[in-house]
Amino acid sequence: MQRSNIFDYKHYFFFKIAVAVILIAFIAYIAFEPPIGHYGGSWLGYVLGIISALLVFWMTWYGIRKRRYRGSGATQGWLSAHIYLGTALTVLVTLHSGFNFGINIHTLAYGLLLMVVMSGFFGNYTYMIYPRQMTENMGEDNLDGLLLRIADADKLARQIALIMPDDINNTVSRACSETAIGNGLLEQLRGYQPNCPTAIAVAQLTLMGKDLPSEQRKPYRELYSIMVRRLSLVKRVRQDLMYRARLGFWLYIHVPFTIALLVAMMAHIIAVFFYW
Amino acid sequence: MIHCLLIQISNNKRGLPVRSYRTITADEVTIGRYVESTVQLADPRISMHHAVIKRLADGQAHLVSTNGELEVDGVKMQSIALTHGKKVLLGPYVLKVEPAPPDVSLALSLELANPLPDDFQNIKALTQEPLEGASAFKRKLSLWLAGVIALIFLGLPLAQNFIPQLQATMAQLPLGFDRVWSPGHISNAHLHFGSQCSNCHQKLTQKVTDNACMTCHRDISPHIADTDLQKHAFNKSHRLSDGVRCAECHREHKAPHPLARQDNANCVKCHGNIKAIDSKTKLSNIHDFDLDHPGFKLTFSTGKDTKEVERIPQTDTARLVEKSGLKFPHSQHFGKVQGPDGVWDVRELSCTNCHRPEGKEMRFQAVAYARDCQTCHANQLDVGPAKATIHIPHGTEQSVMNALKVQAPKQASQYAAVLKSDGCSYCHEISETKKGDTLPWKIAPLNINQDWFSKAHFNHASHRSQKCESCHQVEHSEISADVAMPDRKSCLRCHSGNNPKPKRIASGCMSCHDFHSSHAAKETK
Repeated sequence: MQRSNIFDYKHYFFFKIAVAVILIAFIAYIAFEPPIGHYGGSWLGYVLGIISALLVFWMTWYGIRKRRYRGSGATQGWLSAHIYLGTALTVLVTLHSGFNFGINIHTLAYGLLLMVVMSGFFGNYTYMIYPRQMTENMGEDNLDGLLLRIADADKLARQIALIMPDDINNTVSRACSETAIGNGLLEQLRGYQPNCPTAIAVAQLTLMGKDLPSEQRKPYRELYSIMVRRLSLVKRVRQDLMYRARLGFWLYIHVPFTIALLVAMMAHIIAVFFYW
Repeated sequence: MIHCLLIQISNNKRGLPVRSYRTITADEVTIGRYVESTVQLADPRISMHHAVIKRLADGQAHLVSTNGELEVDGVKMQSIALTHGKKVLLGPYVLKVEPAPPDVSLALSLELANPLPDDFQNIKALTQEPLEGASAFKRKLSLWLAGVIALIFLGLPLAQNFIPQLQATMAQLPLGFDRVWSPGHISNAHLHFGSQCSNCHQKLTQKVTDNACMTCHRDISPHIADTDLQKHAFNKSHRLSDGVRCAECHREHKAPHPLARQDNANCVKCHGNIKAIDSKTKLSNIHDFDLDHPGFKLTFSTGKDTKEVERIPQTDTARLVEKSGLKFPHSQHFGKVQGPDGVWDVRELSCTNCHRPEGKEMRFQAVAYARDCQTCHANQLDVGPAKATIHIPHGTEQSVMNALKVQAPKQASQYAAVLKSDGCSYCHEISETKKGDTLPWKIAPLNINQDWFSKAHFNHASHRSQKCESCHQVEHSEISADVAMPDRKSCLRCHSGNNPKPKRIASGCMSCHDFHSSHAAKETK
């Protein structure tokens, strides 16, 4: 039997709460429209704003709490609430704004909140699909195991290449010594490297093998298959790095923008009450 | 012929250098990866045929590149004379010319200076950790974002408020730092100074005061004509604030909504429970025109002064009598009517034949005899036998008598009696005069009501699409005392209260009423 995950935690308890919160907010929004249109300063606006602010603080607290490994309740439950109530929060602040947007601190705070929630959604998505794909990609291996196998392939390839003509030897040698993996953030996220020396080597070897003397044909074929194996290993390592980078990358936005959101929210509240 | 001693230096398992000596005698000494090279170097960085040592024309032994790189002191060379002490980089190897023992002409040492790195360490070094330095990046980005936001959206606007010099400098510019705090669009009327917040928000944490509004609106009068009521009603309904600020009802930053609130909520706040404001009031509670608005009262003038009026509820039908001083059956002036020129003279009359609309709001011109009555009723003012008819002008009693005296001095008093019973009294009420008066009788003074709903405003122009008789039922009115003003029910056929209903227009308080007749207050001043 599969254990409950963050989504169906306690029979969708937080999902139901989030749906209820959204529904109540929508009904209140439709039922109590101020005569001059919805805005954050109406009584409904204040209620929505206060609830949203409390939710933001509580969600930020999750980030601190989960690093403490002790305290109240299962982290799984907290995360479930974090995700569902974070979604409800987006609706609440949108209604709080009354769809009044402009170039000001208030809309900035709103935009930052959307960035935080959207990055959270992306993080959520990565954790839904990548762990399974990672396992499929790595199988029984781990990263060091794959690297060891690449190193073995390198050793063999070099040895065979010693008796090969210079162009083949150089190509193999370059592929072995210059193939970088996960070079830079962009390539890690793409999981693909343009001009990968190993891929080039495989492509070039196909052409170079044509005019070899007969006694070199057998080692050439062996060398070629080693290089193909190396390429597939390198690709698997890249894929693994890509998954791990994507699993962590959304936090690049989620965390700093949360800090920015807290500051912007403070400025938003101060601005409202300083200029009544 | 080369006769040379080659010393190959390599490391043993313990890492100690081991020298192996070999004497070579050949025309040319080939160096390379090739198995049949004189000196075979099994390293992938060495070419198949890397170099060759041979004597050139000058008799000196040279190292000549065949397909490999040779380097001396960082300079790539094609051919190198092997003189004593020369040090040549041959791929990863160092070839050094040693002092030659007497039995050979050349001694060379060859050492692998730059061994291949371990394959695993190599590939590990080439593999980057995913998201290297992520936490440092996140910390840096957090600090930057927080800092920039705090500076632009909090620090600078606050600094402008706390530092008067900065405030003065910023006031010269089109925008202040605190512009970023603006919660919404400013109404057009205030736009030209609205980008400087301090023009209205004069003190931090304090709501905008009336003084800020009064800077421009100096001549504004109290909004309630009755100053006692102004104090009494407003202070009581707003216990939390000291009186009512302009901004309570005139909400800025809400464009395109109008600046002055048009909603009923503000009215209902007091009028929903009016006894709480004034326990002696005779007004009833009102929340909604459709729900609990009382029936209309009609304003009857009781004297010459505009203030001498009586307001009679429409339900009190017995008292709804207009004493206009005229006799006029509307029923006979409506639709197809008999003209003055015999049975074939049939004329079609509509309301606007006599009630002529005037102005943008479609008020009506006063009905005038010459324009509206005379066409048909000219012979009402003819007296005398058919051959000697006298035409009396429509005018004051005095001018009528004068005309009689001039045109028929003998029959003047006789004709005056005729006019009293038929001519003038055809339309006018006639009153007796006291004995000794120069006039035998008088026309009763006209008192035609102008404003039936004095507490509300009504615009005929916006009801243009409706027929007159859908509100004013005069088809069957036989006497001029009838009052044909519509009641609340007839309004409710097309109008609803605060909210629209099927086929009925939403109509709030402001649709018919002014705010405590604030404009009337200004006019009387």
